[in-house]
Amino acid sequence: MNTLTNRYLAATLRSVPAQRRDEIATELRASIDDMIEGRTDGGADPATAEREVLTELGNPDLLAARYADRRLQLIGPTYYLVWLRLLKLLLSFIPALVGTVVAVVAAFSGKGFGAIGTGLVVALHVTVHICFWLTLVIALIERSQSSVDLPEWSLDDLPDAPVRQGIPLADTIASVVMLVVTIAYLPFQHYQSWVRATDGDNIPILDPALWSFWLPALIVVLVASVVFEIVKYRIGRWTWALFGTKVLLNLAFSVPLVWLALSDHLLNPALGLRLTWLAEADTRNAIGLAIALGAAVVVVWDLVDTALKTRRQTA
Amino acid sequence: MVSEDVLRTHLQELRRGTVVVASLVALRRPDYGYALLQRLTDHGFPVDANTLYPLLRRLEDQGLLTSEWNTEESRPRKFYRTSDEGESMMSRLLDDLAAVQTSITGLIQGVDR
Repeated sequence: MNTLTNRYLAATLRSVPAQRRDEIATELRASIDDMIEGRTDGGADPATAEREVLTELGNPDLLAARYADRRLQLIGPTYYLVWLRLLKLLLSFIPALVGTVVAVVAAFSGKGFGAIGTGLVVALHVTVHICFWLTLVIALIERSQSSVDLPEWSLDDLPDAPVRQGIPLADTIASVVMLVVTIAYLPFQHYQSWVRATDGDNIPILDPALWSFWLPALIVVLVASVVFEIVKYRIGRWTWALFGTKVLLNLAFSVPLVWLALSDHLLNPALGLRLTWLAEADTRNAIGLAIALGAAVVVVWDLVDTALKTRRQTA
Repeated sequence: MVSEDVLRTHLQELRRGTVVVASLVALRRPDYGYALLQRLTDHGFPVDANTLYPLLRRLEDQGLLTSEWNTEESRPRKFYRTSDEGESMMSRLLDDLAAVQTSITGLIQGVDR
């Protein structure tokens, strides 16, 4: 018996159930020999005929899967939609939630600026874990013989048709971009403020001491605001629940900001060394007051505007 | 001009189930894998070897075929034969095949049934 056929048989039989291996081996070998004989009877060279026959039979793993009636997919149509929905659901909040909690804890324990990095790394880990374990569980269910009773789809599952007039996509994108730019600016100014000390080192505009708690906390509020904008867009119009959340988010951002500005904790004291006019208490108080007033005006104007929109769209 | 790929896919879909019926009919006379393959091909049922051999085992597992080893010839061969169960299954499938043909004919002629 020549080696190509032997190798082909070995490769095929490797992954068929053991109790039927011998029988399949004998039958498949006879079939291959028959096929080769069919070709050599027609005048073909035996070696060429063997190659042709084995090529025709194709990938041994595929043939074995057909013998074993095995599925050649990780997750098939029965479970794919369940897998996708669970994946979306879990990824929509768990990594962000865990990452935020870890970042806040790290910030409290004095990691300062590094807390954000820690939070991001943990969120990434959680994301990978969710993807892996969910896929593994569903793939195992797919392979087990028992069928899981999935709830039947019913008409009641239909989501409401989205009403888009209320929240234009462009507004949502603009808000998210603004928030992301603000989030990015906070660490950015720490390294690149265009104010340099005499030795050429960068002087952050905001007090670096704030990284121990207040700046991470504000970033958390800003991230929550991004999530809020997306949820709002998905809902498609203003509701009073959304308005209430917006009030809370605005206050969570502006109250600390106003307090920090008024108590002169916001700006980096080191700036005064370089920009002498900033060293004077009067100037600093004036700047603090201006920031506080500006923040208050923006918040009040935004909330009145939102309240009007909400009343119109819930009417 | 119909794309060759699309045509091939549809033909494959159309032919898929008929291999089972054809095998059940052909195996009223017992035969082994390669000979059956030849017979089916000669009668206009071209089927891949890597489809037919596993299919025969599956039909046997389902009780539609019985098998017997023949060791009298040059090499041992497994002969399959349509079982009684396979016979009744076959007539159901043939009825359905005829029903499909009738329906199509009816549609073509635009005749309401």
